[in-house]
Amino acid sequence: MSDTPRSTESDPVSSTVQVRRRSAGRTLVRLGQPLATTRARHPVLWRLTTTVIGVSIALVLSGTFSAFTDYLLATGAAMSIVILGLSFLTGFSGQVSLGNGVFFGVGCYAFALWSNHQSNSSIPEDLVVATIAGALAGLVVGLPATRLRGPYLAGMTIAVAISFGFLIDQFSTWTNGDQGINVQGQFTAPGWLAHLIGSSVSSPRATSMWGADIVFVVTGLAFFLMANLFQSRKGRAMRLMRENDVAAELVGVSLPAARVTAFVVSAACAGLGGGLTTLVATTVYGSTFNLALSIEILTLMVIGGIGSLSGSLLGGLFYAYSMTWIAQLISGLGISTSSNLGSQMNNIIFGALLIITVLVAPLGIAGTTRFVISRQLARWRSPN
Amino acid sequence: MDAFLTSRNVSDILNGLVNGVVFGLVGLGLVLIWRATRILNFALGALATGGAYLGLGLLSYNVPFWWCFVLSIPAGMLLGGLTERLLVRPLYGKPEINPIVAMVGLLFLIEAVIGSVWGTQQRSILPPFSYVDFHLGANVLKLSPLSVFQISTALVLALAIGALFRFTNLGLQLRASAVAPEVSRLLGVRVGRMLTLGWMLSCGVASVAAVIISSGFISGLTPAGMEGPFAAGFIAAAVGGLESPSGALVGGIALGVLEQFVTDYFNPNLVLPYTLLVLIVVLMIRPHGLFTRQVVRRV
Repeated sequence: MSDTPRSTESDPVSSTVQVRRRSAGRTLVRLGQPLATTRARHPVLWRLTTTVIGVSIALVLSGTFSAFTDYLLATGAAMSIVILGLSFLTGFSGQVSLGNGVFFGVGCYAFALWSNHQSNSSIPEDLVVATIAGALAGLVVGLPATRLRGPYLAGMTIAVAISFGFLIDQFSTWTNGDQGINVQGQFTAPGWLAHLIGSSVSSPRATSMWGADIVFVVTGLAFFLMANLFQSRKGRAMRLMRENDVAAELVGVSLPAARVTAFVVSAACAGLGGGLTTLVATTVYGSTFNLALSIEILTLMVIGGIGSLSGSLLGGLFYAYSMTWIAQLISGLGISTSSNLGSQMNNIIFGALLIITVLVAPLGIAGTTRFVISRQLARWRSPN
Repeated sequence: MDAFLTSRNVSDILNGLVNGVVFGLVGLGLVLIWRATRILNFALGALATGGAYLGLGLLSYNVPFWWCFVLSIPAGMLLGGLTERLLVRPLYGKPEINPIVAMVGLLFLIEAVIGSVWGTQQRSILPPFSYVDFHLGANVLKLSPLSVFQISTALVLALAIGALFRFTNLGLQLRASAVAPEVSRLLGVRVGRMLTLGWMLSCGVASVAAVIISSGFISGLTPAGMEGPFAAGFIAAAVGGLESPSGALVGGIALGVLEQFVTDYFNPNLVLPYTLLVLIVVLMIRPHGLFTRQVVRRV
């Protein structure tokens, strides 16, 4: 599955190119020999198979983990959808958003409010509401994106992220401010699942595993849809727009429409991720949705690799375990968690990682790995 | 006359001036860096807070306020210079997103480092000025010795920066290296040094803004205290087009007054959303700001 923004493999012309190789003064020209590519014959089927296999493995493994691990992995998977949305926005349409934490928050609130208000609503219905709410917020914020470029847009989204806290306060009759909302009527695992892992329906382990399984399935679905979008006509148009917007306009891409679409898709992903997070966390606190959250999402995307599916998954995994790792690091260094340094360690590490990644490996983990592998392959193919 | 000067609207204007000059200074700092290096410095607020903490932290050691205030300027300049040399210089000529991401990372890092050294609780700074408002007869004029000090400091600083750029040889070199770096280099201007100096000036200006905003009666220094003024300062500068220093200053003052009106007549929670709305409306009508000419893009 090819998911780098700069892959030329999707171009049918370059898959059968002339390979010109110079060796010992002679020039070898091979015509019409196809290059080895990772492109599958039926890409959609291939993506579907990969997704189904990946989700199945996750589902089986979720039965062997503890309740806490299941919970961590579920939050990580939900966050990976949010990261994927931002990755699409930045890596494909070339726009930077520092406000995706806002769309995430809108999804969280929409899920909690809808499921509390419509007491007999099903989980899929709540998730759809969260996604739509996120998409609508993305539409509102994204409309100015038709006129704004790069730093202007980033500055506007940072102002949106800062003002979201004030809006939560303003609508505290709905959001309940820092006291937060509890999601009523927690979901329960079905009997067969509890029977399968040999525990009762109401046990925390069964509940946690069922929640994680729902999140894994939805995450798989979201990644499958986004992978198809990445390689679709729309996705290619957006990549062209990122590389050269004038050229894109000349070949008939409507820039304003493409820019807003990218924003809406990205925000819908963030809303869905927020809904899933609320599903497993069952509480929403207003203080969660500050500027730091948006920056954390950006950090995770950059570390994983901008515009990469596998990078988004890595970012989600990193998110799931970062808190545990940092807590271990703090106790390992002998710092008290209540001290100033201990409480700020999380942000210090995230900020430093962001800077280091940009300076040393701007392609992120996924992009750098791909780069190293392709260079090794090229060396291996032409040994001189 | 007295009744007019103490009326609700004039009080709002006078109240808004303090915030306004702070936004103006932050906007001025952003414009200085943007013109020279085409980078929007998202970490400016955090760098300024760092400068203010370094300078005003000395208050704990019974150093007089004036010394702390003066020292916070070179402290901010030092942070700005270091940032340019170590972090920004490798990023010139890279894709647009790289400096944005790096600056956001720096913002996060500096706020966290400040919090880990000095704690996140508010540190109050009491300058040697009374915060009691002047009286006009029985009515209150919404100006105090403190706010007069705050406003005049900001305006003097802005004028000094303007004079530096307008009338000195150094200012000419700074402007030249921002407009035409290659030609300036051929003519013997140390362009790299000028860029560093531009960053230092910008952060020094912003440090003064941080000291002003945190020296009020109820306000104080907090690590994230400059986030709001940064957003407002960016909006002021962007409305002016990110190119015009005087536009940023005027825009900042107008924004501060507007925010005071929104606080008074509507709701303090809606201040930033409303200012954001102003930015969006202005940029929808004039995408390159109010004070700049439309630049024709070369394909």
